[in-house]
Amino acid sequence: MSLKDLLSEAVSERELRNRIVRELSSKLQSCINCLRCTSGCTSMKLLELKPHFLVSMVRLGFVRELVSSGVAWTCALCLKCEERCPQRVPLSDLTMLLRNLSFQREENVPEAYLKAVSFVLETGFIQKPMEVVSRDFEEFTRESLGLPSMTGPKGVFYENLMELMAEGGLG
Amino acid sequence: MRVSVYWGCMISTSEYAYELSLRATLPKLGVEIVDLEGASCCGFPIRSVNRMAAEYMALRNLAIADGVGTKFLLVPCNGCYLSLREAAYRWRADEKLRGKVSELLRREGLTFEGRVEVVHTINFLHDVVGLDVVKKAVKRPLRGLKLVSHTGCHVLRPSDVVGIDDPERPTKLDDLIRALGAEVLDYPESLDCCGGGLLLSHPETAVSIAATKLRAVQRLGVHGLVDSCPACHVMFDAKQEAGAKAIGCKLSVPVVYYTQLLGLAMGLDERSLGLHLNRSPVEKLLEAVSG
Repeated sequence: MSLKDLLSEAVSERELRNRIVRELSSKLQSCINCLRCTSGCTSMKLLELKPHFLVSMVRLGFVRELVSSGVAWTCALCLKCEERCPQRVPLSDLTMLLRNLSFQREENVPEAYLKAVSFVLETGFIQKPMEVVSRDFEEFTRESLGLPSMTGPKGVFYENLMELMAEGGLG
Repeated sequence: MRVSVYWGCMISTSEYAYELSLRATLPKLGVEIVDLEGASCCGFPIRSVNRMAAEYMALRNLAIADGVGTKFLLVPCNGCYLSLREAAYRWRADEKLRGKVSELLRREGLTFEGRVEVVHTINFLHDVVGLDVVKKAVKRPLRGLKLVSHTGCHVLRPSDVVGIDDPERPTKLDDLIRALGAEVLDYPESLDCCGGGLLLSHPETAVSIAATKLRAVQRLGVHGLVDSCPACHVMFDAKQEAGAKAIGCKLSVPVVYYTQLLGLAMGLDERSLGLHLNRSPVEKLLEAVSG
């Protein structure tokens, strides 16, 4: 099943919007807008990500707008925001929920992400063992470096994964 | 001591230098590596599209390790370490998740009981193997070498789940470098992220973030940067040139895995540590070691 096929099984937009708000809203209510998250954010300077702003937007119910903006994909996943939050607001969970939602709506998911995900769903790994080149332009593989060959997962794993992908993943 | 190792995608498919140097150095510390049969990606890349599928993948890998029966599971990649630690944490806290994933695992004849303890290269060497044992294995102390370290985000935060060290002022990797006889400098940018998390969505920004940190390191006049995560390593090593171009500067910073440095101090052959595979100019560091 391709990613597109999986998306055709996603539930309606209104329901998803309500689910994401329900999932995190109670924890999001404790944000006091102190901006410790934003002041240490890796992506603030170059991509203008402001974690506290995401929290405020969701609290106001503007989930759809957030997803449409693609802002969740500007996060570097360094987790400083969450670590430093005095109220323990689950900022990385929020980012992941927004990303999950944008995947289901097929909106703004970076092409490279979709490629990597497809490869994992098909092979169990993000890429196949690569041929690498040394600084002297000599080519090497796992085998020629004397590394043991890889073993991967078998059938049931892929079936389970497809089942979960079809379910949608929120909650 | 027998230790299971979960290699993950990046190390198994391209960052061979990390695997080579771990396989070369750990036996010298009395550690025997047990490879996992049938492990997959840790689930980290899947997290962004389907959180539940990612949890399943992480817990499945943990279940395989649990079945091997070693006390520790060594996870040398920071991202995989976070995935597996967080999944084990959620497994304990979330009954719904436990029920759902148990059923999926059962179809494959797997069970997870949460026995195996997940460790990363840094806390495994520092706390389990121990600094004294590391020190004793040194045959060629790296005297005169001046270095800085990069611990990386996902072994520090969230500290209540992964925390191998003080999240705001980690020192274990520095201790490990000092144990080899080298000098370590503290620097203001030490906690800065490598930018790797943005490589798939905003590649130009990602390499700029890495290069900005490297520029700060270069100004310190050290012999190199030491890391211990394949994702961070790619950003500082293979992407160094692209990063330099992106921010408009010249960069020439040797970047090595800690285990490569450890192997050098043990007197091991450079190729057995994969030092010919680093993309950054590690010759400058190697000359300082031999000189």
